[in-house]
Amino acid sequence: MREIYRYRDLIFALVARELKVRYRRSAIGFTWTMLQPLLMMLVLQVVFSSLFRFKLDEGTNNYPVYALCGILFWNFFSQSIVASMNSLRGNSPILRKLPVPKEVFPLATVISGVINLVLALVPLMLLLLVTHHPMTPALLFLPVSILLAGLFTLGAGLLLSPLAVFFSDVVEMIGVLLSILMYLTPIFYPMKILENSPYLPLVRFNPVRSILEVFRDPIFRGKVPPLTHLSVCFGIALAALLLGAWAFRRSSDRIPFYI
Amino acid sequence: MMDDLSIRLETISLCYRLAKQRVPSIKEYAIHFLRGSLSYEQLWALRDIDLTVRRGETVGIVGRNGAGKSTLLKVISKVLKPTKGNARINGRVAPILELGSGFDYELTGLENVYLNALLLGHTKREIDAKVDEIVDFSGLGDFIRSPLRNYSSGMQARLGFSIATAWVPDILILDEVLSVGDATFTSRCEERIRSFHDSGATVLIVSHAIQAILKNCTRCIWLDDGEMKADGDALEVVNLYLREHGTEPGEHAGGRVPTAS
Repeated sequence: MREIYRYRDLIFALVARELKVRYRRSAIGFTWTMLQPLLMMLVLQVVFSSLFRFKLDEGTNNYPVYALCGILFWNFFSQSIVASMNSLRGNSPILRKLPVPKEVFPLATVISGVINLVLALVPLMLLLLVTHHPMTPALLFLPVSILLAGLFTLGAGLLLSPLAVFFSDVVEMIGVLLSILMYLTPIFYPMKILENSPYLPLVRFNPVRSILEVFRDPIFRGKVPPLTHLSVCFGIALAALLLGAWAFRRSSDRIPFYI
Repeated sequence: MMDDLSIRLETISLCYRLAKQRVPSIKEYAIHFLRGSLSYEQLWALRDIDLTVRRGETVGIVGRNGAGKSTLLKVISKVLKPTKGNARINGRVAPILELGSGFDYELTGLENVYLNALLLGHTKREIDAKVDEIVDFSGLGDFIRSPLRNYSSGMQARLGFSIATAWVPDILILDEVLSVGDATFTSRCEERIRSFHDSGATVLIVSHAIQAILKNCTRCIWLDDGEMKADGDALEVVNLYLREHGTEPGEHAGGRVPTAS
């Protein structure tokens, strides 16, 4: 921990570089972060509300807001996982030659993901305004939700990133697993439609769903998540972080040999 | 007595397990695992190395390509953990392991000063205080503002050396760095190494340029096939080494060495 703190300025620099690369590569740069979720949400609006017609029945039927919360959260989670798996590989010349604490690379990746998520809140808030969705003081709870999502994702990233060094096909495999996990997470659909489904337990006990609801509650439902749910989520995030940090520590010495 | 020790390696061995294989896929791994045919090619890069270096010593390391010199330096700079044995390293290590380790070729020289020094564990504030001195010492002038991909290898070496030696380390590691710069820069480097030596820093130099070793080091070790073949007075060890390998082309720039007599 102290070691990582000593390298804090390096972490900032890595985050800045990652953000710069992300925005330099696309022609319209920064605006893309704003536009991309909105465009995707428009597509969903057409596909799901006109073709499939979910009734949300939660006091509000604002499907676009419901879906966009899910999409932003999922994008953050899945992109951070994949990027942190690539982060060690991508910095192999450094890891082969310099004694840097290796955690800084997945850590910087997840932090830049968090910053991206925060930026993407801007189009989300615009959507709330446009659709006259009620904005409540519960929105002030969002930093906690995002912190929780960040800790959980960091844990998963630390757990998985060494694997990508040891095995060449792990990233693709995780890609498949992520797409399964995506369908097991109520991003586009409401929990309600699963009432009589055999898949309900899978979705209910999916930790990603629990963390997503903490993010969606303040925005979509305009309330702070219930305390019981919150404590479960902090438990999940902490467990993921500890497991990830432990696994990373264990394999850390072997990374320079395989990279 | 212990405070005096800078590096202490006790019967260090290091094995590259997959050195000759590509990174396997999980599928292959699973198949081999089920068949019970998981085999690894083992390559022992270092075998039972014992080395004790006192604070303030300047030690040269010679040996043919693949003898384990760079691996040994990586153990000392804590990049690689030895497979067997004990490594005790006291103090801050400034490693210049290869040309441009940790450089980003798309960034300018100046940006690389920051990136590289951050990677070496310095804070931004520390770098801010030293950046002018680093640029000045490198002698790169206006080139400092152009991307690193436009740099020659000598210029990269100059920048790398300037960054790593801007702070007096406890242990300075130089892997084939002295032989790349031009004569003026090399002599400035050697001057700086001597000043480190005077302030009590330990310096390790790997070089195929035998003259550079003789000029800077009092002690020298000779690695051959991962084993310590000789350890002692620089001139003696270098002569032993040259007697065995002196005929190999390209291994020793600078030719035969005058004997002590």
